[in-house]
Amino acid sequence: MNGSAGPGEQVRALVGLHLALERRTGEALLVVAPFGAVALLLLPMAVGTDIPLLRQVGPGFYWLVVLLFGVMLTVRHTAEDGPGAQALLAQCGVDPVARAVARVVADAVLLLAFQLVLAPVAVALYDPRIPGWPWLFAVLPLVAIGLAALGALAGAVSSGAPGRALLGPLLVLPLAVPLLLGATQVIEAARYARAPWPWLLLMGLAELLALLATLLTAPSLEETE
Amino acid sequence: MTRTDRFLVPAAGVLVLAGLAAALAAPPDRLQGNLQRLMYVHVPAAWLAYLSFGLTLAASVAWLRRRHERWDRLAASAAEVGVFFTALTIALGAIWGKPVWGVWWTWDPRLVSTAVLLFVYLGYLALRRATVDPVQRARRSAVFGIVASVQIPVVHLSVLWWRSLHQPPTVLRPGDPTIDHVMLAALLLNVVAFTAVFAVALRLRMRLARQDAELAAATTALGRPLAGSAVTVPALTAAAVTAPAVKKTIGDRT
Repeated sequence: MNGSAGPGEQVRALVGLHLALERRTGEALLVVAPFGAVALLLLPMAVGTDIPLLRQVGPGFYWLVVLLFGVMLTVRHTAEDGPGAQALLAQCGVDPVARAVARVVADAVLLLAFQLVLAPVAVALYDPRIPGWPWLFAVLPLVAIGLAALGALAGAVSSGAPGRALLGPLLVLPLAVPLLLGATQVIEAARYARAPWPWLLLMGLAELLALLATLLTAPSLEETE
Repeated sequence: MTRTDRFLVPAAGVLVLAGLAAALAAPPDRLQGNLQRLMYVHVPAAWLAYLSFGLTLAASVAWLRRRHERWDRLAASAAEVGVFFTALTIALGAIWGKPVWGVWWTWDPRLVSTAVLLFVYLGYLALRRATVDPVQRARRSAVFGIVASVQIPVVHLSVLWWRSLHQPPTVLRPGDPTIDHVMLAALLLNVVAFTAVFAVALRLRMRLARQDAELAAATTALGRPLAGSAVTVPALTAAAVTAPAVKKTIGDRT
């Protein structure tokens, strides 16, 4: 891949690189996902193992775990984040925006897989009633893309900083509040036969802002390499 | 102390005293009594939180355009002062909320969004501390300072967008403010007084930031070897002078 490749081709190649690295290391699905499953298992021990209560709070726990552990997934350090790899990509003329888009796409795919791995665990442990479950087909990708965009931004601004693994979540989590609210309230709205559109709109707007911020600031942050 | 400081510091002191007098002289609230006087600190603190983070936004944009370290210092100093005033707003709100609402904290949109604002800017300050290189720090925090500012209108409009226990805007609203005009005058005087205190604090913090940067630069320079220090001048000792080869050379020259 070099600068003569179009942006689309650059993005495709970089997404392939990210996913190949993940296949090799298995950080997202073999480390973070089991960690999230352990958290789902431990949470009821903190609030009481009352089945009706867990049925009620289970979806909230699920989204909280997705958010907290998903952030860890998005701000993890990969081989592509090393200064050598960054310099090489810059010298090859790879567009910084293409790199940011590739990071968002690859992380969104991984987050979606992470959510899909955790969902049956949550269902098995909490046995929640989800009357508006078809809405999950919209909510799951929205959360994945939004979190991936915020994670890419936080990863870019904290790149190479000591304690990045701790700093990243502090930067992402407060900004991810609309995603948590939207994800939980869409299902609540469906439970009470209300239209979930306002919550989907909130998530979409937060996501759009996160994506715009990530993509518009990518060239400015590129200079740091 | 500059000429501005010589004027600003006493002016801020006089304004704070006048604001305090006005807050005590204003009529008590019909329902809350004297408890409502917390408003004369709570509202100015909230206003200064907005102002600080707005300044951080403006200075971040200015840094990205001009790349002058003064803008970075302003952004950082304003964010620090803003975090203090946001924390003060939340603390005063909790003290006010306990007797009025019966709880220190409630899951109200205004309260939650203000807490989120606090954490966003704590993240901004943590990002600054984590980045060692000054230019990299300025660039990264400028980008994050712009992104973080999205939260400011969310806090202000949260009472309109969602059902809230917190009262809606009474002053910054279209039409006549829904507050007694004597109270409003006392409130505005306190806003001006707190803004003057904010200006003093911001100037002091910026001066401290400049001195910090100068100290860091001087310390870094102190640790570096001087140019050419790796090359040492050969020492001409008495033993070397009396060595036979040297004696011979001297003898040949003479």
